[in-house]
Amino acid sequence: MAPPRPKLRVRDVEIGHRSGRKGTYALAVDGLSFDVAPNEFIAVVGPSGCGKTTFLTAVAGLIPISGGTLELDDHRIDGPGRDRSLVFQQASLFPWRNVVQNIEFGLKAHGRLDAAGRARVAELVELVGLGGKGDKYPRELSGGMSQRVNLARALATDPELILLDEPFAALDAQTREVMQEELTRIWQADGVKAGKTAMFITHDVPEAVFLADRVLVLSRGPAHLVADIHVDLPRPRTPAMKRTPEFLAMSDRIVDLVMAQSQIGKQAQPGRRVTSDDHAGVAAG
Amino acid sequence: MTTQVSQPASPIAGPIERAINARKDKKLTTGTLGLIGLVVVLGAWQIAASAGWVDASFASSPVGAVRALVHMIGTGELWPPLLSTLESVACGMIITVVVGIPLGLLIGRSNTLYGLTEPLVSIMYSVPFVVFLPIIIFWFGIGAEARLVIVVWSAIFPLLINVIAGARNVDRHYLQVATVFCAPRLLTLRSVTFPATLPFVLAGVRQAVGRALVGAIVAELFMGNAGLGYVVQTETSGFKMDDAMAAIVVIAVLAIVLTRSVAWIERRFTFWSSSV
Repeated sequence: MAPPRPKLRVRDVEIGHRSGRKGTYALAVDGLSFDVAPNEFIAVVGPSGCGKTTFLTAVAGLIPISGGTLELDDHRIDGPGRDRSLVFQQASLFPWRNVVQNIEFGLKAHGRLDAAGRARVAELVELVGLGGKGDKYPRELSGGMSQRVNLARALATDPELILLDEPFAALDAQTREVMQEELTRIWQADGVKAGKTAMFITHDVPEAVFLADRVLVLSRGPAHLVADIHVDLPRPRTPAMKRTPEFLAMSDRIVDLVMAQSQIGKQAQPGRRVTSDDHAGVAAG
Repeated sequence: MTTQVSQPASPIAGPIERAINARKDKKLTTGTLGLIGLVVVLGAWQIAASAGWVDASFASSPVGAVRALVHMIGTGELWPPLLSTLESVACGMIITVVVGIPLGLLIGRSNTLYGLTEPLVSIMYSVPFVVFLPIIIFWFGIGAEARLVIVVWSAIFPLLINVIAGARNVDRHYLQVATVFCAPRLLTLRSVTFPATLPFVLAGVRQAVGRALVGAIVAELFMGNAGLGYVVQTETSGFKMDDAMAAIVVIAVLAIVLTRSVAWIERRFTFWSSSV
């Protein structure tokens, strides 16, 4: 079952943090283990507030893990690295930079913005469907277009692992559908290494099934692995596939698993602390 | 045939054209209304003076003021005080900007410094600076340095308040992007923190310029021997109201030109910001 050499190795990962005014220690992730194979697209689903975003943040290197091992290409993750990039939930584009300059930012940060880098950026602008909009500024872009820039910015540095933190959560239903198709198309088209290794966080189960090779279901927080489901739907995937019995059956099965976790959550969640800081709020769940 | 092709202002203009036209009309009306208001007041003043309802040697009159202004320009009397006032404002603003922007950034980025200085800065910003005038005169005398102190005193607090707010409000998400892509410190400062703070800095400079002019004029009124404020003061004492009014007109024009030019710079450099 395990491939010979995993891209990302997650072993007994535990993430704790202090929360609230009293600074009580709480676990967000507890004993999470799985592997991600090279070129695999995995989606992580779980009840809201289960710690999936916290886990992603740790893989990005923004917060430390308090136990276990987290390795990318056999190297321990102990901070942000050039081998990973993150597609943010809020597009977080710099309003003072236009589309092209925003996409260039990662390369510029790496000191790799040479002729080849610029060519790659120009290619990505076309690939994500923003041809001719390169000199627009973020305030002129719709939500969907902003997320295309966000995605292109993450792809530009050609990372080993790309992390996506509910990138379509804030979009309206139609734009969301379009972006899901676009993501699969971009995935299959981005020529550098067909299908980069990716981890996609979402709470939308059909979205996870549609996009991913594997769907991981996390428990209610502190998160551990509940199910690891292989999605054997053929690629390239089309929107029509969402109405096939196989797709629906798989979605239903996963929804049931997530719902079962949410039910437990409802009973045992009296003292949930929410801070003004929304990231800590997510982590506290 | 060609006339049919080129008809942008057709009566069946789209909603966008209509909205643009409506906005233009509105702009025009505000401008026209402002002009009408000005003309009415000046007209009433002129009539009151000409009809002898008020003593023109007391109240001056628009025509008298314009005549005095033309005379001052003709003889060249206007330029030395104008240059003197401009010099005070310019020197004061240079000091204000050079000290205020780095200091504001420093205070804004450090929680301890912010905690220590926040009440002080707010108090100094809120209290009218003129109350410190006697004390400043007591400390610095009535020379050029004292005038400079007053200009800086009045200008620096609005700038500080804005820069501190800007430095404190750099969006967490922007910094997170820089962290994720491993941007070096200097690049983060130059390409993220600086542009994120710029709208606040420029808004602060715009307010500071206005306050610097007020400071310069107040200083000249009370302790000057040169400058437009001094002209207003001496001409009024000498009972030459037309000349005093002419100097006030020049001050008004100066105030508008200064703040408008900073506003232009603001639009030029922070056009991307939706909040400005």
